[in-house]
Amino acid sequence: MRDKFLVAYRSIRERRARSILTVLGIAVGIAAIVALMSVGYGMEEAITGELTGMADMISVVPGRITGATYVELGSFTDRDVKDVQRIAGIKDITAMTYDAAEVEYRNERSPIFILGGDTKELGSFYVDPVGIKEGRWLRENDFKGCVIGDRVANDFFDEVIHVNDKLIINGEKFIVVGVFEKASTMYAADVDPHLFFTLRASQEVLQTDEVKYIMVRVYDIDEAEGIAEEIEEAINDNHGLDDFAMAMTMGSMIEQIGDVFNIIRGVLVGIAAIALVVASIGIMNTMLMSVMERTHEIGVMKAIGAKSSDVLSLFLLESSMVSLVGGVVGCVVGVIVAKVISFGAGAALGIEMTAVVKPEVLLGGMAVAMVVGVLSGFYPARKASRMSPVEAVRYE
Amino acid sequence: MIHTENLTKVYRMGDAEVHALRDVNLEIKDGEFIAIKGPSGSGKSTLLNMIGCLDTPTSGSVFIDNTDTATLNENELAEIRREKIGFIFQQFNLVHTLNAVENVALPMFFAGVRRDTRLKRAEELLVNVGLGDRVHHKPSELSGGQQQRVAIARALSNDPEVVIGDEPTGNVDTETGNAIMDILEGLNKEGRTIIVVTHDPEIAAHAGRTKRMRDGMVLD
Ligand SMILES: Nc1ncnc2c1ncn2[C@@H]1O[C@H](COP(=O)(O)OP(=O)(O)OP(=O)(O)O)[C@@H](O)[C@H]1O
Ligand SMILES: [Mg+2]
Repeated sequence: MRDKFLVAYRSIRERRARSILTVLGIAVGIAAIVALMSVGYGMEEAITGELTGMADMISVVPGRITGATYVELGSFTDRDVKDVQRIAGIKDITAMTYDAAEVEYRNERSPIFILGGDTKELGSFYVDPVGIKEGRWLRENDFKGCVIGDRVANDFFDEVIHVNDKLIINGEKFIVVGVFEKASTMYAADVDPHLFFTLRASQEVLQTDEVKYIMVRVYDIDEAEGIAEEIEEAINDNHGLDDFAMAMTMGSMIEQIGDVFNIIRGVLVGIAAIALVVASIGIMNTMLMSVMERTHEIGVMKAIGAKSSDVLSLFLLESSMVSLVGGVVGCVVGVIVAKVISFGAGAALGIEMTAVVKPEVLLGGMAVAMVVGVLSGFYPARKASRMSPVEAVRYE
Repeated sequence: MIHTENLTKVYRMGDAEVHALRDVNLEIKDGEFIAIKGPSGSGKSTLLNMIGCLDTPTSGSVFIDNTDTATLNENELAEIRREKIGFIFQQFNLVHTLNAVENVALPMFFAGVRRDTRLKRAEELLVNVGLGDRVHHKPSELSGGQQQRVAIARALSNDPEVVIGDEPTGNVDTETGNAIMDILEGLNKEGRTIIVVTHDPEIAAHAGRTKRMRDGMVLD
């Protein structure tokens, strides 16, 4: 048996160029499958990971979304906030003011949205998932301090804003006490373009005591839909309107995104299936060619006394060695390609995305390489080994 | 002893039939050196292929040591080719990925001889045909005459009783051809049966007996 390995190995090595091509043919196909599947799984994990961290949230706004535009119908009152607080199943609640103001920084002006709320609760909504890059989060007594999002710091003004820089809003000076990290996709719209104040400071700056946004966290995600309805009812009652408040659970958003994701996943599976077929045909072709062009050699071996089974086992051994190497190379390349693609796509989309390499994908890739490789080597080898020696020797 | 009984081979090419061999009855005694001559297309190669068990007849039979080869299965025929017969082709037909000594050792590989034993014997056989200094050369690094000597060494690898050569000197110059015939003559002196096809009368002169063929028949 060891002898057979030696002979098969010799034959592979002597036909270096052909063997490398065959290995590559197999590896490319397997790499395509492995890379596609790993990127796909990575995407799935990245998105569901982002979503499940926020699944217990309900956002309440005074208005409604028609089509793609949000129509504001007014603002909430302190009574609304107190009524919502009384609903069972709510873990915490944050009332926020929310409005645009003109902000001046080093003689440059820009309109920016200002968000104010209870510092502890606002902090638990945003600081934990996003993180502070510079400085610190707001304290209850920060009447002249503010924290800014990444885009406010870097994009909105010609000069980058750092901690301890001064901003002027409606003639009053404020000091930047902290700068957020760049937020991932799910939080980007909430954090990056905003200025954060304590509730009191924001109400002063915006010269209002209105509440424009209520965020609620529930204990039990399964109750979120019911609680959302209760919230809408309670606030609508206060204002005597039918459709004044809109409470959206993250769950319903996840469902919407989930549908989209199922489509993406279907497309990925489709691409993988195509890659599989293309890979199989490629492997068959290279294997078929490399065995067929050796029909003469098979004839010579038979003429000097090899049994059909000797020839067949030699060629099967050779195909399985080539397929094995092709499969391994394919898996390695596939994993590398998947990591590079995921990294690039993640960076482009601003989310953390890493390829998820599942063992069953690698095993599947190896199985495809071995099964397709060996079978497509087997067929021409058997055909050639069944020819009479004269016929096979004559074959050129 | 080898003999044929009404050995017939018909090739069908579409509607046309080519009678490559017609009822050939030939007897070759053990230890004989026989040369077969005849014009191109007269069936010489076809006859040798049948005797060497490389092909199967349309009708009739080849008997080797009184065994009717028509009754043997694939593996038994392979065993005869491996153990009893050494075949030398006009085109040498070496395995070009293997070097000289590995080519010579290949029939022993299929016979299940241990690696070190078969490489040692293969090297001795190469020394015997005058290629002791070309043991690790690839066929592509050898001249035609040298390749044919490797092929002869390979034919001897399992120590066969019968050596068959189909124009073994056809692709080499006269001098090398004579050297090859000397080797075959030496093998005959050792007691082996030698059957060769040749066009060259000078080479046929080495043989103890010469047979002529025409139109698929062996003439008296
Ligand atoms: N595989 C084949 N298919 C069809 N016809 C064949 C085949 N092999 C041989 N023949 C025919 O059989 C006849 C005998 O051929 P063979 O090769 O035995 O002749 P030969 O005496 O060896 O000739 P040469 O001296 O040219 O080698 C020829 O007419 C040839 O065309
Ligand atoms: Mg011929």
